[in-house]
Amino acid sequence: MSRSMPRASGYFRTNYTQDLQLIQTRTEWLAALAFVALLIAVPFVASPFLLDLCCQVFLASIGALSLMLLTGYAGQISLGHAGLIAAGAFTTGILAREIHAPFWLTLPASCITGILLGLIFGLPSLRLRGLYLAVSTLALHFIVIYLGGEYETRRGFSTGILIDPPSLFGWKLTGGRAWYFVMLAFAAATLFACINLLRSRSGRAFRAVHARETVAEALGIGIAQYKLLAFVISSGMTAVAGCLFAYYRGFVSVEAFDLFLAIQYVAMIIIGGMGSLLGALLGATFVIIFPYAIESLLGFLPNVKALAADIFAVNYAAFGLVMILFLLLEPLGLVGIWRRVQNYFLLWPFKYRPLASARK
Amino acid sequence: MTLLSVDKMEVVYKHVITAVQGVTLSVTEKQIVALLGTNGAGKTTTLRAISGFLGLDDARVTEGAISFEGRRIDNLAPHETAARGVVLVPEREKVFPNLTVAENLIAPVKPRHARLQQDLVFHFFPRLADLRNKAGGLLSGGERQMLAIASALVCEPKLLLIDELSLGLAPIVVDGLARQLAAIRSELGIAILLVEQSAPVALQLADYAYVMENGRIVLDGDCDRLKSHQDVQEFYLGQAHGERRSYRDVKQYRRSRRWYG
Amino acid sequence: MQLLVNIIVLASIYSLIACGYVLIYRVSRVLNLAHGELMMLGAYLLLATASMFAGNAALAIAVAILLSVVVGILVYFILMRRMTGEMVLAAILATVALGILVRGVLVLIWSSQQQYPAQALHVANPTLAFSSAHISTWSFVLVLLNAAVYFGLFLFLRFGRWGMRIRAAGQNPLLAAQRGINLHFVYALAWAISTLTGSLAGMLIALDSGMTMSMPVLALKAFPVALVGGLDSLAGALLGALIIAAAEVLLIYYVNPLLSDVIPFLVLVAMLIIRPWGLFGTREELDRV
Repeated sequence: MSRSMPRASGYFRTNYTQDLQLIQTRTEWLAALAFVALLIAVPFVASPFLLDLCCQVFLASIGALSLMLLTGYAGQISLGHAGLIAAGAFTTGILAREIHAPFWLTLPASCITGILLGLIFGLPSLRLRGLYLAVSTLALHFIVIYLGGEYETRRGFSTGILIDPPSLFGWKLTGGRAWYFVMLAFAAATLFACINLLRSRSGRAFRAVHARETVAEALGIGIAQYKLLAFVISSGMTAVAGCLFAYYRGFVSVEAFDLFLAIQYVAMIIIGGMGSLLGALLGATFVIIFPYAIESLLGFLPNVKALAADIFAVNYAAFGLVMILFLLLEPLGLVGIWRRVQNYFLLWPFKYRPLASARK
Repeated sequence: MTLLSVDKMEVVYKHVITAVQGVTLSVTEKQIVALLGTNGAGKTTTLRAISGFLGLDDARVTEGAISFEGRRIDNLAPHETAARGVVLVPEREKVFPNLTVAENLIAPVKPRHARLQQDLVFHFFPRLADLRNKAGGLLSGGERQMLAIASALVCEPKLLLIDELSLGLAPIVVDGLARQLAAIRSELGIAILLVEQSAPVALQLADYAYVMENGRIVLDGDCDRLKSHQDVQEFYLGQAHGERRSYRDVKQYRRSRRWYG
Repeated sequence: MQLLVNIIVLASIYSLIACGYVLIYRVSRVLNLAHGELMMLGAYLLLATASMFAGNAALAIAVAILLSVVVGILVYFILMRRMTGEMVLAAILATVALGILVRGVLVLIWSSQQQYPAQALHVANPTLAFSSAHISTWSFVLVLLNAAVYFGLFLFLRFGRWGMRIRAAGQNPLLAAQRGINLHFVYALAWAISTLTGSLAGMLIALDSGMTMSMPVLALKAFPVALVGGLDSLAGALLGALIIAAAEVLLIYYVNPLLSDVIPFLVLVAMLIIRPWGLFGTREELDRV
């Protein structure tokens, strides 16, 4: 991962340990501490609505990061993300309902389900690439959803499975503030896991497989092994997100996991900017906040009574429109915009980066 | 009458890579002009700039002008330059592999004289008449090149741009093609701009030649003059005189390079 | 016998929708995932013209068909043309986004109720009988129309001048442009034909059994049909439609009615394991993406 401009002048790294540090300069430390302080302070001053929004953003970030890992870095296009979340949620729901399993059991169980399912989702990637791989993941998504639906009807949960809030060592997890911290912890853990994975040998292997498979294989990187690894890790994370989703909602039903959810996640990584973890976070924030933004925007327009009744359709249409605009106008996504703004201020009065560190 | 005039053209890929710079050449009516040079000299880029990029390579003519029959044609789409009479025979992927030979000759525009055009083409390349129903992808190298030139002829060009005529072909096939091209020039009055790696073939066929290196033109002149030019003989025709030299020793070459570059 | 009729009707529906996918893929390597929503748009256009030309069913249908062709051309020129230089994945996502946009707008204009254009047009839908089987009139029309469309497309692509150009542009767009073929025109033509066939399917289905906002689901089920047959083969689409329709009808009848939505995808997964490029698809399509 390249270092951005602020560290360019007068700052030199003299050993490998220094090079590997995530936060290097004093300014960065201060900025990081300020950010963490902000994150911790938010739940004490924010309204419940805002807390709920933050929780949703953190939850979506986990899914977005895992999808970015799979599609943005390892290059394996997957449209089956909603199916994986469903798998995690259903595992949690089934275990909680059938055998009243506690939280510390359902979470690993969901993860394991995700891993196994990831193996299955990943098998086509050994023979297929690009479009056909996307289609195979789509097919598997539908099969997973079907199985979930079958379970619901067979066991009589046609309106969905209700789940009690999780409890850990006797302490029940309820309330916006508690959930905020839990979600934040999980999202941060996912983020750090992804950062470390990408700096490791596996991460480099992912990038190699994405760039040119034949060359990667010629260099001795086991393609099948790393593709499956990418799927497995990504699916495990996603299933964990599904488990959290189930507990947060308190309710699992197969209708929540439709194709639109998968498209939303793909939109998160596209709008955020492919190939960048920051992009996954920005994209998740954008897509989650988007419906609420549209709703408040409608409040400012006149004669919205008619539209307000169809708020779902308006959201839908606006979402499609925004996605098209991003694809046409800003293919690098929000990260591209962020970097351009960053460059403008850092490079002023110059306009272009020096070619050596140029990014596309 | 100058048919094609390229004036100090510069082509840039992806906004940062300059492929050719300051290229100036011209083709007059009924002339066969050769563009010589080694790999990566920018010859293919020059031809594709004249014929038009499709935006797939993110390439643009950023400076200079390309004029055909007095009108500017730089940065036009390929089908527009083809409509004006400038048709390219590409180096790779020169035929439609899953169409038959006959379909390859019908698919391009100009529906009115389809039959006449086919007869004309079969007059120059009788072999194609036998292969009428064979799929383009199954043809041999020489037949494919014939089909490529033939499908270009069907578009009724005034100027034919040929990229790498002899690449991968047996010498006897190349001889046959060169003779047909000369016949095309004399019977149909079509001018030809020919890019060639093989200098002997090019200098034999053409009237005038340009030598390109690293994206610039370094030498040009009548083919007779170039054939006897010592540096061209040494570096392109493989006829060394005396002991071996390297580019560094060739003062005259470097002088003329500075002059043109 | 009734089963056979059902299979043929379902296969005709699937293949009529699938030929739209095949055509656009063949000409530009793009998967038009908005096909379902465009199909629905065609049906809603019929609803609109039905209320405009209340008495005259034929006129309403004709105008709706014309409008759907215009929609296809507009979709190309406004959206897809700008995606020609980009990655194929970006173009596919653009079609997904377009589908979402179209669906949202349609709900806003027409609400998500079930609609019956046949009632608006005052046309009846009597049931015809073939020996022991029953088939509704509009389904029968659909079967015939599907056969006609496929026959016409076969002839057009193989022998028509523009059909040849469509095939050429699909194989090698750069060379096609260098031979004077106007790629924009070819692509727009493909989009127009694809939207036309999709809209016809949508209209006939709507006339037969009414339409809701879930019509695109049908197109999503028809998508494996195109893949099973080979994404660039019309004949494959026909055969794939027959196979999947047969599997669906038989399994619903003998095993479990709830399977209907998932069977096309099961067949697809099986096909991807055995022969990823489909029954008649060209093999190199696999690596080209």
